Amino acid sequence: MSHDSHHAPVADKMELAPERSDLGLFRPDRTRGFFDWLTTVDHKKIGIMYGAFAMLFFLVGGVEALAIRTQLARPDNDFVTARMYNQLFTMHGTTMIFLGVMPLSAAFFNFLVPLQIGARDVAFPRLNAFSLWTFVAGAMVLNGSWLFEFAHLAGWFDNFAWHKALVYTDFVPANGWFSYAPLSGTFGQANAALQAPRFTGVGTDFWIIGIQILGIASLAASFNFICTIVNMRAKGMTMMRLPVFTWMALVTSILIILAFPAITVALIELMFDRQFGANFFNPSAGGQPVLWQHLFWIFGHPEVYILVLPAMGIVSEILPTFSGKALFGYPIVVFSGAVIGFLGFAVWSHHMFTTGLGPIPTAAFALLTMAIAVPTGVKIFNWLGTIWGGRIRFTPPMVLALGFIWMFMCGGFSGVMHSAAPADAQQQDSYFVIAHFHYVLLGGVLLGLMGGLYFWFPKIFGRMPNAGIAYLATGMVILGFNLAFGPMHYLGLAGQPRRTHTYHAGNGWETWNYVATIGAFILGLGVFLAFVNLVYTAFKGVKCASDPWNGRTLEWSLPSPVPEYNFARSPIIATRDAFFEHKHGVQKLAYENDGGEAGVHMPSQSWFPLLAGTGFLIIGFGMPMMAMGVPHAGWMVVSGLGVLFFGIWLWALEGPGGYMLKTPDDPHGAAAQAKAAASAY
Amino acid sequence: MSDAVAHDPDFLTEEVRRYHHFITLALWLAAITGAEIVLIFLPVPMPIVLTVLSLMSAIKFFAVILWFMHLIYDHKLLFWIFMCGLVLAFATYAALLSLFSVQDIDTKWFS
Amino acid sequence: MSQAADATHAHAPTSTGIEHKKLIMWLFLASDCMFFGTLISTHLLYRKLYPTGFTDAEGHQQFIQKLFNIELTSFSTFILLMSSFLMALAVSAMHKGQLKSFRRNVLGVIFFGLIFLGCQVYEFTHFYHLGLTIQNSVFGSTLYVLTGTHGTHVAIGVLWLILLYFYSFTGKLTGHMAGLDVEVAGLYWHFVDIVWIIIFTVVYLIEYLGPSGFWGTGLPLAQ
Repeated sequence: MSHDSHHAPVADKMELAPERSDLGLFRPDRTRGFFDWLTTVDHKKIGIMYGAFAMLFFLVGGVEALAIRTQLARPDNDFVTARMYNQLFTMHGTTMIFLGVMPLSAAFFNFLVPLQIGARDVAFPRLNAFSLWTFVAGAMVLNGSWLFEFAHLAGWFDNFAWHKALVYTDFVPANGWFSYAPLSGTFGQANAALQAPRFTGVGTDFWIIGIQILGIASLAASFNFICTIVNMRAKGMTMMRLPVFTWMALVTSILIILAFPAITVALIELMFDRQFGANFFNPSAGGQPVLWQHLFWIFGHPEVYILVLPAMGIVSEILPTFSGKALFGYPIVVFSGAVIGFLGFAVWSHHMFTTGLGPIPTAAFALLTMAIAVPTGVKIFNWLGTIWGGRIRFTPPMVLALGFIWMFMCGGFSGVMHSAAPADAQQQDSYFVIAHFHYVLLGGVLLGLMGGLYFWFPKIFGRMPNAGIAYLATGMVILGFNLAFGPMHYLGLAGQPRRTHTYHAGNGWETWNYVATIGAFILGLGVFLAFVNLVYTAFKGVKCASDPWNGRTLEWSLPSPVPEYNFARSPIIATRDAFFEHKHGVQKLAYENDGGEAGVHMPSQSWFPLLAGTGFLIIGFGMPMMAMGVPHAGWMVVSGLGVLFFGIWLWALEGPGGYMLKTPDDPHGAAAQAKAAASAY
Repeated sequence: MSDAVAHDPDFLTEEVRRYHHFITLALWLAAITGAEIVLIFLPVPMPIVLTVLSLMSAIKFFAVILWFMHLIYDHKLLFWIFMCGLVLAFATYAALLSLFSVQDIDTKWFS
Repeated sequence: MSQAADATHAHAPTSTGIEHKKLIMWLFLASDCMFFGTLISTHLLYRKLYPTGFTDAEGHQQFIQKLFNIELTSFSTFILLMSSFLMALAVSAMHKGQLKSFRRNVLGVIFFGLIFLGCQVYEFTHFYHLGLTIQNSVFGSTLYVLTGTHGTHVAIGVLWLILLYFYSFTGKLTGHMAGLDVEVAGLYWHFVDIVWIIIFTVVYLIEYLGPSGFWGTGLPLAQ
């Protein structure tokens, strides 16, 4: 067996002798700067990159939203064409969900989970990097479609034969983030060239391959996190001593690995319909378009719990910290999270109450949907129990977490209203639905994630964001979002339909649409202000202590920013909230006798996850270009597959490598504690 | 199971026993598959055939998981992880299949 | 010192005692259950909705029992089962450090896997000549995509095993990690086999239950 980790332990990786992998190529361990970030397998750096991309795409999705609201501010408006409007709301939804919320949650998982369980990295560091770069590839593919659209609008493609042959010239996805068949599919008989007639252009193909690539990224990351949480916990860190955030990371990852296969298959079937003339959703041949809805929502409903559970985990960390009390009913909160995840698979057809399922299925799904409100309510009561009787500090993260409870509840109420199928018959496809899911997504998820950003920023960068600006941004976000989406409850009940690029005057919708647009701009400004301030803070913010909030969980026991090896000595856990007990209670944190001069094992960096991700990038552009009819685009797909294969193959062949990194003597007096621990254990 | 352990006599006997298990299992799998193929052509009432076929498939399925894939010798967690995926898939898709009915189909538009 | 590094790296204790690679492969297989579940249920759903099979290009109703060649499919099922057996032997051999036995058995798995793939390709061309295409019916779409996806999984497995086979000549496939790597490849291969067990039963065998198959009113072949 070959092993490269036979070097003397070094104090800094730049002291390593240049080392060749099993392939004979130099391992990029000794890089700094840009190449260091490209080849890193450090979960903390990967988390930061996820977060940076997420914040960027939040702003992109936000601009798309503001364009939508501008168009809808007045009746019979022509700020954008109907087609552009469809592209905007599709890309807004797709971007916010897949390129905004999910990667921001991934950023928190990446940074925090190993720290919270007392580990030095995730189970498969290179797979972690692969997830990141595949996500970036998917994001570039989806948003690359805008570039094609703008080029088309500018007339750059006019002289190309393939462009002249196009039946539809929409390059950006425009069928909604759920892309229902038959609009996204085909109809009629496929001709000899396998080109079945279809309703949409290449935009749909961009969407299909973009989501497929993003799915692979999410799946890879989730397999990694489940393995990490189950298998790499520090000594004494039993499952019931895990922080609730880590528990929610585990449940979310389990949801991802079980829900994404459904959309993977649905996308394959849709792609086969469009590219190869298959009939999965082609009504002319007997395909059932409603099957797409089923498969999509079998994925789609767990997906919304994938979006919200991390934010709930964050809130479950913030509330105890700033109430000075342990989380009320920890086992129940964990159990409720698991039940929500499990039940989430049983309710998908509540998105389909108006498709004629029949009375018995409708009733069954309605009942199950109402049931899922129960564990959610349990969590809320436990959060209230946590705050009750505590010494509350209204720091920015706490304000955001409290905002989560209240705003998410509002979203939950409108959700329960939806669960009554007869009522939903009126609400379906109206602005009431938009109000509901924006309350849970913005009022819930966004506030929770922002709370997480303000809470953990000091740990990630060692700098404290300015509280005044944080409060201002929080206020603008909460005010703006309520102004924008509150009236939409009324608008929906008053009959305004979704996904229509304009409306006529005289329905009584004008005033509240105008108000909603104002609210949207305030919201956008608030988010922008928060992000700009956070980015500024990362580089130039006021430096702060390693435990500025009097935190409860293990990450606060580490210096800020966290050193590459995470823990100078691996902790030995004896209780929940072990660090808090160490500071204020009787049970001191003990440490193992690892690290120090003998060093700890660090994984080697690698180019190959990036290479594999690049393969996906090439495939991601190649497939829509094939659909466009660009000559030789098929070869682009083939070469993308080749790059992907080589990336994975070389990754397997280079061997895990690794080097030993010395860690300093622990300032907490680990040696003495380890001695004490040795006698206790 | 490092190199040292691999030469441990108890471990090797265990491996030899497993080797014989594999052969026996392979023969049974082949026999059951043969029985299935014969069964479908016999004049037995359909509900019985269906039940027997399902049972035989399930037996083959679990035999491969438990012995060829080692689950019976491994940590229980792995078994339950796989069961989660299997049971969820089965339940979700049984529900999905029950949501579609021949009565809802109007074949005159595409036959 | 290097032994300590070896010990830390290769035998890092896991919280459950299960090796990371094994755990992650079982997680992948659980996920793959949902993946194949979706494909299989799409096929079954359309069989339920359209019991009469499919119409070929000339507009004739085709009887699926006449389309399928149950002898060929049974043969390829046996082949895959036997390849699973050889895979178990290969894993066992690797755990015992018997490289030659491992190579023989893995070569057998590859060979049988290729035979299976060959049978699938033959079957597809057979169906195509009988008038079943991916475009001309829902049945064709679901059948080809389901069995084609399974075949792709088999092909990936064969590729993986070929690479393992050649890697075993580099002298680096030794020790505990080698046993683990081969075992993980074996898990994937066995899973592909058990998926086929299900597909064989619910896609192929079920069409022969009773005179008109399980799904009901199959029409006789048009004259």
